[in-house]
Formats: sequence, structure tokens, C-alpha cells
Amino acid sequence: MRKPIILASLALAAIAGGAAAAEKPYRDMIPYIDYSNPAASGDAKHTNTYQYWKDRDKLDPARVTSGQLNWTTNWKFMDAPYNDTLHGGYVAQDRGEELFKRLNATGAFAACLGARNNDLKGLRLQYPQFREDMNRVVGMEAMIEQCAEKQGMKLENGSYDNSAVSIYIGAFSNGMPIKIDVSKGPLKESFEHGKELFHTRVGWTNFACATCHVNLVGKSLRGQTPTTHFGDASHWPTYRTKDELQSLHVRFTECNRNAGTQPLKIGSQEYTDIEVFLTALTNGYPVSLPSARD
Amino acid sequence: MNKKTIGLAALALVAGTAVQAADLPSNILYDANSEKKTLWPQPVVNSGVLKYNEHRQDLSRWPTLSYEDKRPTRKAETVELKGDLNGDAKRGKEIAMNTQRGNCWACHVLPGDPQGGTGGPTLVGFKHRGYPDSYVYQTIWDRRAINPGAIMPPYGTNGVLPEQDIRDLVAFLQSLD
Repeated sequence: MRKPIILASLALAAIAGGAAAAEKPYRDMIPYIDYSNPAASGDAKHTNTYQYWKDRDKLDPARVTSGQLNWTTNWKFMDAPYNDTLHGGYVAQDRGEELFKRLNATGAFAACLGARNNDLKGLRLQYPQFREDMNRVVGMEAMIEQCAEKQGMKLENGSYDNSAVSIYIGAFSNGMPIKIDVSKGPLKESFEHGKELFHTRVGWTNFACATCHVNLVGKSLRGQTPTTHFGDASHWPTYRTKDELQSLHVRFTECNRNAGTQPLKIGSQEYTDIEVFLTALTNGYPVSLPSARD
Repeated sequence: MNKKTIGLAALALVAGTAVQAADLPSNILYDANSEKKTLWPQPVVNSGVLKYNEHRQDLSRWPTLSYEDKRPTRKAETVELKGDLNGDAKRGKEIAMNTQRGNCWACHVLPGDPQGGTGGPTLVGFKHRGYPDSYVYQTIWDRRAINPGAIMPPYGTNGVLPEQDIRDLVAFLQSLD
């Protein structure tokens, strides 16, 4: 009678103990570059293309139109307000406004996201953030999903409508520099984990994010040229010219597949940690929405 | 009887959990009931839900970025090319210049490809470089055995291409003028 129960408890204890003691599995790593003071300007010591894209209003048209040099502009030439041609990002912004007005009829949606007095200006700069009530770090799109659900609307993280709302809200912070503090607390922990993941080699190719964005940055990979990972996070979600509105996490799933790695769920802790890492590497660079890129 | 059943059920539950934990992480985009298993999310215009499509191959067979993934990355394998090369250069070309197979052209320039990659050295004129077949074979199988920090995918070690495909690739490369 008792024996099976005891055995079961023993087995449970063994598994729990095993999990606690389990070491990380072996992984090859891409060596870190200098991330000691995370900011967009840190690219000067990486690809040194920062000089070409830091002043968006001084972007060199010859560089923008050059097949060889285009990557050195980090796609900033397709950011608002420098690119006001009507692309899918603007269409999404309009859709986002319509959805936001429906969601925020009482002001509860904006308040749920952290806005004071319905003021959306600067809200984008508060993300990613640590939520005590959820006991985890979340990106803006994850919170949009949560807060929309409270209003009875399904806005799955990564869906078109979720990204549309994110672009609409984010654009109120246009021109304001990203400034997340990853020097302490849960955001520091998330940043460190994201940094490690970014350099961890996985998949059939045994590639890390850093294989393309550190080792192969600027190289031609059959028509695609990987750009610097500095200064990038402030223009997402973005409109991809292949006609798809993508959040950063949706982009990660495409990066993973291109690199022969099994993608993770949108909003996963792993993708959120990489989002925190990339956002910190964008510190000092202004929000620029809507945007487009290949 | 009742207690025993409960006890056994608890055992089964624990075993089930363990098998899953040792197998695949819970937070990957994966559907065991689909043909290719690996899924990718597609945003659909004016929709609040994602459409999930099957990827062209099952990628869950290799380590992922999931914190739950305890499967180790395979370390570098040193291999010996046994017997005659017995490679088919024409077949090797079909493997090298195909995005869904070897995908060598993603990183290397190959003759006749206007879009060739620059991630690795050009392979044009490869036959004149004098590398032994065994060295080329090892490089494709697992370059890390020669250069520990190499970024070229370990096609043999990771079970991406079977031995004969790698022999065909060596024959193809050694034919490039």
C-alpha cells in the first residue's frame, strides 16, 4: 500500500534534486565583444557604422542606394520621419489608432500599460520592464496582449493587430532616446541572460545570433547582409518590405529558421531577454516609428 | 487498492514528466501531430491572432535557445576518409547550390552563381589549391576539428548530410577550376 507512494515520492525528489543540480548542457559560444557600457554608440567599436547612421537627417544618399554599402546605414533611411512614403507601417499605425480608441474608451487600457492620465508620450521608453505583479520582465507587445484581454479583445503577442497598436503607441515617443537601465535588478539579470543567449550556438548550423551579427556582419549572405545589432531596437515593430508587419519576437523566429534553429514561442522568457539585451544596445538612439526594412 | 492505484498513477506522472523534460522543451513552436513538426508564426493583416505554418523541416532535432533544453551540443568530431573518395561531382553541385540542402552558396561564391556569399572564402578555382580530399572531407564534416572557433556548420557531426553527400561535395569542390 505505502510502498508505491514512497517510491513515487522518492522518484519526485530525485527529479527535483536532479533539476536543481543539473548543469547547463555543453554549448559552443561566440566570444563577447565589448558590452560594458551598453548604448547605440557602442557600435563605434564593433562595425564602426555608427558614424553613418547616428545623425539620421545627414544620411548619405550614395550610401543608401549602394548595394555594397547600404547595410552601413542600418536601415535608418526607412525610419519616420525621414521616410514618409506610404508603406505598410503607416497603414498599421492607422489600424493601431482605431483599435486603441476602441480598447481605451474608459482609459483603463492605457493605464494598464502604465500611461499616466492617458498620456502616451514616453510610454515606449518604459519597456521592456519588470512587472512585480507578474514577477517577470515583459516587452510592450506582451503587455498589450495582457491589457487588451482585460478589455475583452484578443491581441495575441506577435499578431498584426498587436504590432499595429504597439506602433501607434510607440510613435508618441518618436525622437525620444531609448534609455533602459540594465545596471541593476531584474533588468540586469535579463540583459546578462540575453547577452549569453545572443552568443550561444544552437541548431543544425551551430550558429548563434552573434555568428551573423558579430562574425559575419557586413558580409553578403546570398542577397542579405546582416547589420549591426547596436541601435536597432527602437524601430520595432517594423514593416518588412516582403509585405509583413513583424514584432521583434516574430523577427527572431525568422532569424532562427534562417539559421537552422528551432524557433521559440513569441513572448518566451528567452526572446524577452534577447529583447532587453538589444534594447540596451539601443540606448541613446531615438524611437523612430513607423519604420520599414527589407 | 485505492492507495496503490494513486501511488502508481503518481509514478506514471513523474515518469511522463521526466520523459518530456529530457526530450523537448515546452516553449518551442512545435506540433507533434504535424508533418514537419516545426512551426512558424505569420502575422495576418487586420487580425489579432497569428497563423501557424509548418517549416520546411523539423528543426527540433537540434539544440535550441530554450532554457529548458538540456541536450548538449555535439563536440567536434575528427573523421578519417576511408577508401576511395567515390564522389559524384554533379550530385555534389546539386547539394552545394541548393538552399534547402547544403546551402554552401549562402556563404561561399560558387561558379555560375551571381549572388554568392562572402561569409567564407570563394570556392572558385578550388581545385588549384591543392587540399587533400581527406582535409576537405574533415572540413565539411566538422571544421571545428581543425579550427576550434570555426563557424562553418558541422554537416557530418550534426547529422545534416550523410557521408555520401559529403563525398560528393568533396568531388565537386575538387573539380572547380
